[in-house]
Amino acid sequence: MKLISIPLNQIKKKVWSFSIFLITFSFIGIVISSFYSSIGKPINLGMDYVGGNEIRLERICNVDCKTITSDELISKLRIINKENNLINNIRFQIQNNNSLISIRTPFLSIASSEKLINDINKIAGPINFDSKISRSIGPKLGRDLLINGGISLLVSLLAISFYISIRFDKKFSLLALFALFHDLFIVFGIFSWLGIIFSIEVNSLFAVALLTIAGYSVNDTVVIFDRIRENNKSNDNLNFNQIIEISVNESLRRTLFTSLTTIIPLLTLIIYGSYSLHWFSITLVLGILIGSYSSILLAPSLLINEDKSINYEIK
Amino acid sequence: MKKRQSWLFFIIFLIAFSIYLLVNFPFQLGLDLRGGSQLTLELIKEDGNITRDELDSVKAVLDKRVNNLGVSESNLQTLGSNQLILELPGEQDPLAASRVIGKTALLEFRIQSEGSTSQYLNLKFQRDRIISLINEFNDLNKRNFDKNSKNKLEDSLGEIEELLDYKSDESELFLKLNETRKFINSEIANLFVSTNLTGKDLISAGRRQEQTNNNWEVLLSFTSKGGDKFAEITRSIAGSQRLLSIVLDGESISEASVGNQFSKTGITGGAATISGNFNADEARELEVQLRGGALPLPVQIIESNTIGALLGSRNIIKSFYAAILGLIFVGLFMIINYRILGLISVISLLTYGIFNLALYALIPVTITLPGIAGLILSIGMAVDANILIFERVRDELNLGNTLIKSIDDGFRRANSSILDGHLTTLISCLVLFLIGTSFVRGFAATLGLGVLISLFTSLNCSKTFLRFLTSYQFMRKKNFYLKDVNNTSSANLLNKS
Repeated sequence: MKLISIPLNQIKKKVWSFSIFLITFSFIGIVISSFYSSIGKPINLGMDYVGGNEIRLERICNVDCKTITSDELISKLRIINKENNLINNIRFQIQNNNSLISIRTPFLSIASSEKLINDINKIAGPINFDSKISRSIGPKLGRDLLINGGISLLVSLLAISFYISIRFDKKFSLLALFALFHDLFIVFGIFSWLGIIFSIEVNSLFAVALLTIAGYSVNDTVVIFDRIRENNKSNDNLNFNQIIEISVNESLRRTLFTSLTTIIPLLTLIIYGSYSLHWFSITLVLGILIGSYSSILLAPSLLINEDKSINYEIK
Repeated sequence: MKKRQSWLFFIIFLIAFSIYLLVNFPFQLGLDLRGGSQLTLELIKEDGNITRDELDSVKAVLDKRVNNLGVSESNLQTLGSNQLILELPGEQDPLAASRVIGKTALLEFRIQSEGSTSQYLNLKFQRDRIISLINEFNDLNKRNFDKNSKNKLEDSLGEIEELLDYKSDESELFLKLNETRKFINSEIANLFVSTNLTGKDLISAGRRQEQTNNNWEVLLSFTSKGGDKFAEITRSIAGSQRLLSIVLDGESISEASVGNQFSKTGITGGAATISGNFNADEARELEVQLRGGALPLPVQIIESNTIGALLGSRNIIKSFYAAILGLIFVGLFMIINYRILGLISVISLLTYGIFNLALYALIPVTITLPGIAGLILSIGMAVDANILIFERVRDELNLGNTLIKSIDDGFRRANSSILDGHLTTLISCLVLFLIGTSFVRGFAATLGLGVLISLFTSLNCSKTFLRFLTSYQFMRKKNFYLKDVNNTSSANLLNKS
């Protein structure tokens, strides 16, 4: 069974323009997000990074929950709670047919947040205290988490680069790293756009997802480069460009299958998993798709030599 | 043959051992899976240089306080150089814990400075007014608050504030009342001078209900040295106008005069009571704080996380479904594409799963939601190794090699790619584990462990199972293993050219 055969030598220009398009698209997203009044940063940072308080409450309803709107909640809350500062900065979201209330506020002490929950219980209750979630993160901790995430990303990219540069020669490792940054940049850019359009926020699991994508992307690229190196050693009568194309096609099944077997469990996580892992899984699926594209098409196509007569020497 | 069989026995032994571990060692579930609260505390110090000793002594004090609060199975751990993590499993009240933790609980006994009586009486009068306002507020809060009585309370508070020349920063009435009360208490404490008797001289603390009203009082018993100090202090002010004050964290919570009859020996017996209008909860919390001793450094709650118990069990079920479904779909995919090889990869995936879980129970690894995500992702990694091998085996078969040779060569030639892939992922995991937060660590730990085990199961278990199968002659038909073998493929193309 042969899936498809990719004429890499012929389509390389298309691949390049597609990547240039993706990178530009991401770049524009990042720029817009940076200047967008309600975000003002390259990406919409969630409460993990800026501090704040998130509460999710489930209402207990017999059949259907009585309709309640965010404005209604706020105006009723004003009557029983005099903390104007808090109420002016509160954001409600009503989901799941009025049965789920999620609340976002600036950082609160446990006492104030418990009081807020009790107030909501009076207004929109009864709520199920057994299934409540309440999370608050101080602004300083948020900043620490952001720095920590950045450092983790940087350190492990450096470590991976180091490993790759030991395993492969200069050109190969540079290209593998280029593909890696290409993938991460595009995932980042897509989330900038999601932040602008749908106010999707990134939390600390986003940094973890980027790191995991880094591992996968490099892995995929390395497997194909391994193949190219091996075929180059055992074949003297083909030119390097043909070897690249053959190697890519030989690794095609493996790369696609692996992406698929990784994406399948992630899809089950997206469908069945808890909400805190929802965007994490989506980020990973995106990253794996882009990673597969860059390792099958982009990285090898950059290896292709314009001068067909040259046989590239690989260590 | 012998070597292969011993591998098989070894793997079967490992499986049996893992199952034994799984049965006998329960998993440690994180709070997001069993419900509960987690508080992250940070020590506050001006210059920021917190020593190991300071962190440890803060932890010791908080440990005592939390235990005295009667929170079962609570867990307090240090995090980094200046943080502590407190876990309260189940449906326990994080509010009470946060109140007990937040106070330094520095207890002092002070005596009144000369000539401050009129100032004291004035402040005490305002304090009594505030307390009655607070009581009124609580009463009103139980019934329905009408705007009128609320305005009345606000007016009285404003009056007091004006007299004291003080303005509370809080915006809510209840908090304002308490702030003002605090302010008065610390003003009173300022009229008193410190003595050498402090919370360090306590041997224990208790509480009881006062007989005359519903209020509670806290009982103190001193060490023998503390008892002597107490006697000396009370003797020095007995019969005078000067009062003895009990100051907690800079607030005077109770003042008392010492009668003339103690002017010879002071109050002996090494015990004292604090009666300061406590309700049952307040008395209990004060008792807990005094028993635990004062915190060497104040702490601040910088993060809190509460997850309902019901939600926790729902998370377990959801993740379980996701994992099982993921496994089933991946298994089907493998069997359809690789036939018996696929079946073998499913078996080695199952062993992989069992080894993983057994290690979680053995180490133990606390299982959290990100941890489960790590496990599910590592399944992908383990499958990848199998795919790499089987594709190589396929190539070898296509080249016309025998089944046994193809399998051997396939495993050998896939080695370097598998190693590369696993190592790059392992690098990410290591970094995440070393510098990540506790939340991220769960993910790094399960993914990292998974990668390590996957190296063993994919390279060893799959191979051993395959060799076991192919040792039977009737199992050696090529089309059992892969479909469409020997069609024109890129491998042939390469060979011909």
